[in-house]
Formats: sequence, C-alpha cells, structure tokens
Amino acid sequence: MNKSSKLSLRGLLLANPWGFIIPVLTGVAASVAGVALLGVSGWFISAAGLATAMGSALVFNYLTPGAIVRGLAILRTAGRYGEQVTAHNHLLGLLRILRLWVWDQRVAKQTASVHTQSRGDLLQRLVSDLDQIIRWPLVVFLPWLYALLGYLGVSLLVYCISPSLLWPLAVCAIWHLVLLPYLCGRMASHAVHVGQILGVHRRSRFVSLFSALVTLTIRGHWQDYAARLEQLDERQRRMEFAIQQAVSLGRLLGYLVTIVLLASVFWLLGDFSLQSGVWHLKQGVQGTWVVGLILALLAVNELVLPLVQSFVAQGQSQVGLRRLNQLQQPASARVSHAMASLTQLSLTEWRGFHIESGLGNQPIDFQMQSGDRLWLRGASGTGKSTLLASIAGDCMASGKAYVNQQACELYDNTGFQQHISYLPQSPYVFQQSIAANLRLGNPQASDEDMWAVLDAVALSDWVRGLENGLGTLLSSQGRDLSGGQRKRLVLARLLLRSAPLLLLDEPFDGLDKATIERICHALDNDYKPEMLILVSHIDSPLSAGARVIEL
Amino acid sequence: MAGSNEVSRAKKATRVKPPEAMFLGDLANQQAKRYRLAQGFGALFAVALVLQAWAFANVFSDMVLSQEFSIFFLMLALFALLLRALANYGRERVCASASRHIRYGLRHKLISHLTQLGPARLRIEEDAALSTRVYEQVDALDDYYSRYKPQVFMVTLIPCVILLSVIPVSWVAFWVFMITAPLVIVFMIFVGHKAAQANRRQFNVLAMLSNQFMDLSQGLAELKRLDRTGEARERLSYSAQVYQKTTMGVLLLAFLSTATLELFASLAIAMIALYLGLGLLEILPWQVGVAPVTLTQAMFLLLLAPEFYLPLRQLGNDYHAKQKAEAAATDLMSILNTPLSVQKAQVVTTEYTPSSVQLSYLSFYQLAWHETGRQRLAPITADIQQGERVWLSGVSGVGKSSLLHLLLGFEEGYQGQLFVKGKPFDQLDLSIWRSKLAWLPQTPEWVNGSIRRNLLLGITPPSDSAIQAALRDSQCEAFIKALPKGLDTPLTELGSGLSGGQMQRLSIARAMLSKAEVWLLDEPCSGLDTETADAVLETLEKVSQGKTLLMVSHDTHPIHWADKHWVLEHGGLHEQVV
Repeated sequence: MNKSSKLSLRGLLLANPWGFIIPVLTGVAASVAGVALLGVSGWFISAAGLATAMGSALVFNYLTPGAIVRGLAILRTAGRYGEQVTAHNHLLGLLRILRLWVWDQRVAKQTASVHTQSRGDLLQRLVSDLDQIIRWPLVVFLPWLYALLGYLGVSLLVYCISPSLLWPLAVCAIWHLVLLPYLCGRMASHAVHVGQILGVHRRSRFVSLFSALVTLTIRGHWQDYAARLEQLDERQRRMEFAIQQAVSLGRLLGYLVTIVLLASVFWLLGDFSLQSGVWHLKQGVQGTWVVGLILALLAVNELVLPLVQSFVAQGQSQVGLRRLNQLQQPASARVSHAMASLTQLSLTEWRGFHIESGLGNQPIDFQMQSGDRLWLRGASGTGKSTLLASIAGDCMASGKAYVNQQACELYDNTGFQQHISYLPQSPYVFQQSIAANLRLGNPQASDEDMWAVLDAVALSDWVRGLENGLGTLLSSQGRDLSGGQRKRLVLARLLLRSAPLLLLDEPFDGLDKATIERICHALDNDYKPEMLILVSHIDSPLSAGARVIEL
Repeated sequence: MAGSNEVSRAKKATRVKPPEAMFLGDLANQQAKRYRLAQGFGALFAVALVLQAWAFANVFSDMVLSQEFSIFFLMLALFALLLRALANYGRERVCASASRHIRYGLRHKLISHLTQLGPARLRIEEDAALSTRVYEQVDALDDYYSRYKPQVFMVTLIPCVILLSVIPVSWVAFWVFMITAPLVIVFMIFVGHKAAQANRRQFNVLAMLSNQFMDLSQGLAELKRLDRTGEARERLSYSAQVYQKTTMGVLLLAFLSTATLELFASLAIAMIALYLGLGLLEILPWQVGVAPVTLTQAMFLLLLAPEFYLPLRQLGNDYHAKQKAEAAATDLMSILNTPLSVQKAQVVTTEYTPSSVQLSYLSFYQLAWHETGRQRLAPITADIQQGERVWLSGVSGVGKSSLLHLLLGFEEGYQGQLFVKGKPFDQLDLSIWRSKLAWLPQTPEWVNGSIRRNLLLGITPPSDSAIQAALRDSQCEAFIKALPKGLDTPLTELGSGLSGGQMQRLSIARAMLSKAEVWLLDEPCSGLDTETADAVLETLEKVSQGKTLLMVSHDTHPIHWADKHWVLEHGGLHEQVV
C-alpha cells in the first residue's frame, strides 16, 4: 500500500495477496467439505437402505463412502481452523498497514493544523473505523465467496440429476447472492450512514456538555443539554433498530427463497399420477441422488444466511473508509531545503499568525548572526509566542526570511528545522523512559551525555532519586511531572541536539532562582548555542547581554 | 416445591459470583419478560427442528425405496422450515430489542449519574475517556445481550429436545449424543479457559497500542521538529508486529477450542452416519443380519445430528462476547459505584446558630468533610460578610477545592454546619442558590459554540450595550475586535488561538453578565505566566467590587486586594494579614 494513495477496499484486498489466498483456499475447502458431508452421508444412507431393500447389501461397497464421510468431517474442521487462523493473521497485518497509513497522513499534515483534530475524533477513527474496515474481508467478501462456491457445487450435482433444475437454482442463487443482500443494504444504508455521523456528533456533544458541566448546572441549564444528548441517543437507537430490522427481515426472506427452491425442485422432479393419487419421481431420476441434493441445498442455506448482513457491513466499511480517507494528505506537502549550516538569519516584515483566528504579532524586522542573543519582550497578548513559533516553522507567517542571506521558506521546512531547537510554552513529554525521551534529541547520546545534560538543567538529583533512574517510564503526557520538570526535561533533550539556533519560550516559568541560575550558567558555557532567541517576562543572567526587541 | 425453591435460593446466595457477572445478570433481569418471550420462540424453533427432520425423513425414505413421495409430508417439512424461519425472526427481534432496552437504559443511567457527580467525576477519568466508556463500552454489551445470553438457553433446550425425540428411535444414537455432548463441553471449557486468560491480556495490549499511537500523535509537532517521525513510525510498526505475533498466539488457542468442538461434532455426525449406513446394510458387527433402524428413522437421525451440536458451536463462537462484556462491565461498574454525595442522614438535634451567622452572608461552623476515612477538609469555622472578598490559600490537597465544591452544592456529605444568610445550607433551594453563583475554575468551561453563545449561557440575553460594557471592563474588547468573526467566532474544543489569559478574561466577562452575587474562583491564574496572571488579577479586582468572592489561589499569585486572607491547613483555618 502506497504511502500517499487513497484507501480502497480493493486495494486492501490486494495489499497482501498471498496472505489472503491461503485463508480463501482453506475456507473454500471447509465450506465445500461441509456441504459435501451432508450430501454424501445422505446419499450413503439412502443407498445403503436401498441396497438392503433390494437384497444387494452384500455387494454394496460401504467402506469407500464411509471413509469419504469421515474424511470430509476432518477436512471441514481442519479447513475451518486453518481459515480462521490465517484470515486473522492477514487481518492483523492489514491493521498494521492501516495504522501506519494513518500515521503517514498525520506526519504529512501541516504542522500548524495538526491539532485541528480533536483527540476523541482521532481515537474514534483509529479504533472503530479501522475495525469496520478490517472486518470487511471476513464479514463481506469471504462469506459471499463461500456461498457462491456452495451454489456452484450444488449446480454440478443438479446438472447430473436433471438439467431442467438449473433454472430455478440460478434464479434462487441470484436472489440469495445478489438481490437480497442488495435490498437489505439499501434498506439499511441510510441508517448506517446516519448512525455513523450521529456517533461522532453524540461524542462531541457529550464532551461539550461535560467540559462545561458546573457552569451549565449553576445556570440551571444542563437538563436542556442532557435532553439534547438524549435526543441524539434516541435517534441513534432508531437507526440501530432500522439496521437490525433489515438484517432480520433479510434472513427471513432468505429462508423463504430456500423454501421456494425446495418446492420447485420437488415440483420439477415429481409427476402426479391420477390413478394412485401419489407423486412419483420422474423417469430416470434416482431417489438417492435427490436426497443428497436436498440435504446439500439445506447446507447451502446455512452458508447463505449470513450474507444479508454483508451489504450492511459493506456500508459500514465504506463509511469507515471515507472517514479515514478524510485524513489523507496531498503528497509532498513539506518543503525541505537542505542547508549546510545556519550562521545568519534575517526577517523582514515578519508576522507570525494562527490560521484559524488570524491572531499574531505586529510585523517586525531583525537580523542576527552567530554569537547573537535576542530577548523578545512585550505585554501579554502581543504575540511573542506566536512569533517564536513562526520562526521555528510551526506557525504560518507573512513576510520574508533569509537564511545565510538566501531567501528561505521557514514554515514546515525540515532542512531548516535541522538547525534549530525550539522549546514551546507547553512542551511535550512522551510516554517512554526518560532516556528514550532524551535520545529523541540525539540517538547516539551515551549515558554520560545524558547525565551531564540532566545536571545542566538541574534534574540529575531528581532522576538519581528515582528507582529506575534513566530507565524510569514516564506517564502519559508527563502527567506525573510538574510543569517546571517537564520544561527542563524537554530543554535537556534539545540541548543534546546542539543545534546552532535555540528558541526558548518562557523557559523559567515556575522555577526558583537557584535553578534558573544553574540553567543560565549551562547555556552560557557547556551548552552555549551559537544563536539564541528568548521569550521571557523576567530578567535572568541569560538576558543580561541580549539585544532586546520590544513587541 | 416451595421448600426446594428456598433451598435453591440459598444455594444461589452462597455461590460466589464475580461482581461483573452479577452486574450483567441484574441488567438482564430487567428484561426478563422479553427473554421469556425469546425462550418461547426458542422452544418453537426446537419443535420445528424436530418436525422438519421427521417430515423430511419420511419424504426421503419414500423417495429412495419407492421413487415416490407423500405430498403431506413434503408440505409438513416445508411448513416446519417456515416455522423455523419465523421463530428465528421473532427471537432475533425480541433479543435485539431487549439488548437495546438494556443498553440505552444503562447509558441514560450512566450519563445522569455522571452529571450528578459533577466535578467528582474527574476522580474516575477525564472526559474523553468517560465518553468512550459511555458509548463504546456500553455498545460492547450488545453481542452479550442479543446473542450470548439467549444462546445459553438454546444450548440446553435444543439438545434436550433432540435427545427426547431420539429415544423412541434408537438407543445407540441416543448414547452417541449423550456421551459426546459432555465431552464437547469439557473440552470447550478446558481450552476456552486458557484462551479467556490470554484474551484478557490481549485487551490490555491493544489498549497500550492505541495509547502509544495517541501519545506519538500528540507529540507529533515535536517529533517533526526533531526529525524523528521515521523512528516513531518504526516503533509503531514494530509494536504492531509484536501485537500481531502475540495475538496470533492467543487466537491459535482460541480457535483450537472451536476447532475441537467442530471436530467432535463432525466425527459424531460421521459416526452416526456410519452406524446408520452399516445398520441399514445389516452388517453391524454385533447385529449381523438385523437392521436396527428403518430408513426413515436413519434419515431422521442423520438430519438431527448436525442440529444437536450446532447451538454449542454457536455458543463457542459467541464466547468472546461474554469476555468482551465482562471487561466492559468492569469499567461501567466503576462509574456507577462512585457514590453520589449522600444526603445528610443525621438529624441536627441541637440547632446551634452562632450569633455572627445572622449578620454574615456565608458562615461555616465546624464545617468538615470526611469521606471513607479520608479527611477531605479539616473542621473550619469562619464567616464571610456580604461584599467581602476572601483569598484562600494552602498547600495542595488540603481541601480548598473541596470547600468550593461544597458551596457549589455537589457534595452534601459534609459534617458541621454551613449557613447562607443565616439559613442552613441543606434547607436552601439549591437551584436558586446556584443561580446566584459564578464559577471560574482553572481551565475555563466552554461548550461547543460561538463566543457569544458561551457568554450568554443560561441567562436572559442582555442588551448589546451591556455585553459591550462587560467586554470592555474585562478587557476582552481589543482581542475580540481582532477576530475576523468577532463574537461569533466558534470556540472549538482546542481554542482558536486565544491565549490562556484571554480565555480567562472571557470567563470574567461571563461572570459579570450573569450578575451573580457570589463568585467562586478556583486558581484562575495557575496556568498563566506571572505577567498575564497579574493583569488578570488586576481586572478581577476592578470588576468584582461589591461581589462576595471566595478565591483559591497559591501564594505564588497573591491577591493583594483581598479583604481577608485565609490559610487552610490540615489543622484548620487561620486568618492572615493581607
């Protein structure tokens, strides 16, 4: 599956054709064996009964059919087992491919709009949509294939008994395999689509209600909100009812088709004689074979019944697929200008801004080169952080940027980002060990390097105090760390990178004076960056010799 | 009869059921009527099954032996097939409806329980995770209630009916069924038990996998800057591969249990077919020359044989539904088992009202809050006058927020007394009291919608000039003007580029518009940098004049303009000079 290609059910089926063929073959063997088991044993018993009645029991070869019956029984079991195991192995492989596909789309997404998607929405896509899609071969494709093969097998038998039966068989096959699933799918498709949309809608309303619960309660208003949630739930329930109704009805109709088929088989094979008042089988039709046929038809009926669900599942898979495809990004959205080094940066008429709100800083001009240190100051709301983020390439900007005196696009430019380290206001700590978090800055960092940098940001004592030291696993989003610890840990990660340009957004918030001084000392000596841009509202040794830009 | 009933009830009581099973069972009992109806349909189905087999057996044997068939038996067979279809249809609908009733009722209960818990719900989980429980986890019960639960009845009913109908036909077949059925069950339990354990571990691994994806996805901007997205992809790929491998290990075992079932069923069917065939040929080793069954009877047995094992095999397939439901039940129970605040049971015999209470707006007298042995709030005694502004500080966990939650009326299990304008708190009309409150928590509370909608949440819309005045006083005017859509800008879940300080200012504007008398603030500045926090506090000082205000704030953000400074400690309350 190509990184940037659109997802399609066909594409998924062909993603790993060999992995798919094995479960199909074993499943086919199991299904055919299942149908044949009933047919052959029916014929065997009938033939045995007939042989005794005709007095030819002693010459009847009973060993071969007996062995065939046992063989088919074992083949059916083994086939079913093999099918389930290999099919699930294939599905898990698909799951991996799909997950990575989602990841690639996320990576390809522009940095500034990465978070436009809520956590809940992403989780929903990741869990339930993927689930709907990977179920497709198991719920839709394979049962349909087995039913089709079941019908083909029976039609061979029918051809041997009386070719005239092929017509009713074909008509019923079309009903069972195509028309009924299609009709049920049609009946349910509206409900499936609406249900999926309602699901998302319901969740966002739930989060909305609960995120403002106290305010809504105080204002005597939450009942209204809760009532609307109930309404959505009620609609969802109606959709669920409609889907279930369609499936149950389809199954009932499937039975009816089988009954009609059985009746027509007897009608076409039988002759009514007025003299005796009984139905005879037509000339040349063997009673034993008819018994086998009827039993095989009953077995096919069992194969056909799950099919009515298949078009409903098909609808669900398609909705899931469409939702996942919404994540799809145009290929090569990122720019990358490889550059040897970063020694000079100048910005003219530069204004960073957020796409959604358009909020940002006043346009500014400045120039800096190796050895320079810049301190951005300004009242709250003047867009210091936005400006810094836009320099880091995280945020949209207008104006011109020159790197080493060459015009350069900063936004989402990997080549440029290799030369910078950016500490945002709320930095991210991964749910990995401390060492793994630090090594994101430099995969080659040794334990000594890590201890040294932890010492520089005044975290080494804390880490030494932990039971597992560097190997300590941090909890989700660094929730067990204080804000100051989180910031310092991420700063340590950045310092390991030793990029020429360091961008710091309020690095000293929530830190005491001694710690601030220690960090400043490190940034002035061992970990001194060539260029530094600092956003801070407090004085520090770091800002002492810096050029000030007032926003 | 009555005696035996009692005995069985006593037995039931002593048998220890896991709480999940009890929970699921209780929910199912709510729909006992529907399930009884489903059992009725099930019985009809079983009868139709036997009827169909008998009728077809007659048709078949006539056809084989004399090339003719009786139209009566044919009609009967087709009628039985129709009956079976109808019974199945009815059963499916009834069970699905029972499942829907249970699930939607449960969801309703969960949501209203969570709303009543108020801020206490966050002790269970954050909201996004709660929404997963309320929606996905409740729906995870569907298979259990619509398929597994009714199937348990069918598993006992159908084999019994078939056994009964086989007795008059053939003892040998009866014994083949009798002997193989328990073997099948024993094997299923044996293998299924191991699979169940592995399955449970598997659930955890899957959750971890999603978690890892969400973690990496949330830190994606950082990974992109560090140019480490490739490594993250490899990590995801690797853990997915490990997951595939371990899952296959589990599935091999799980499918082995179904395969065992299938094998037994298939072999039993084959055995019966062989016995019947040889019997009909009169060459059974122990009965040479005698046919133990007629052809009709043989056909009858052959048709019933697969049906005997079918319900068991289906139950085996649906077994994971039970495990899924039990895993979900654990999560759902943890919500429902979080107690709502208990109404104060104790009758206050000595209605002691200190003299100061009459004069104060809010009075606490020996107000404390113990919950399950844990002290959430030490006994405090203090008064707040009308229009007084109080700064409450103290180390975290000492009960500052708990005091605010008490005042919001979400917790009623407190000890001691709490008076509002001289009236005991538990005698107040809670909705009237709450309408006088304004609430400003650490992270402002927003609903999905425009800024205007959020400002006017639940109040009669004031005039435009009043809105403008409130925005001006809370210093929101400038940044709202800068927004392209102004007041109609939607506040999405993640904010629209507004800073923390701006968001907090909006909630000040909202508090002003509500004309609340009492403002309760829970660390409104904790997420802000010092400079922004100072500016927000300055605004608060101006707009809250004349309001009765209780504000929790750390010493790092001192409230210099407060009339009183209370310091809450584990021993109680101390007043300090501001």
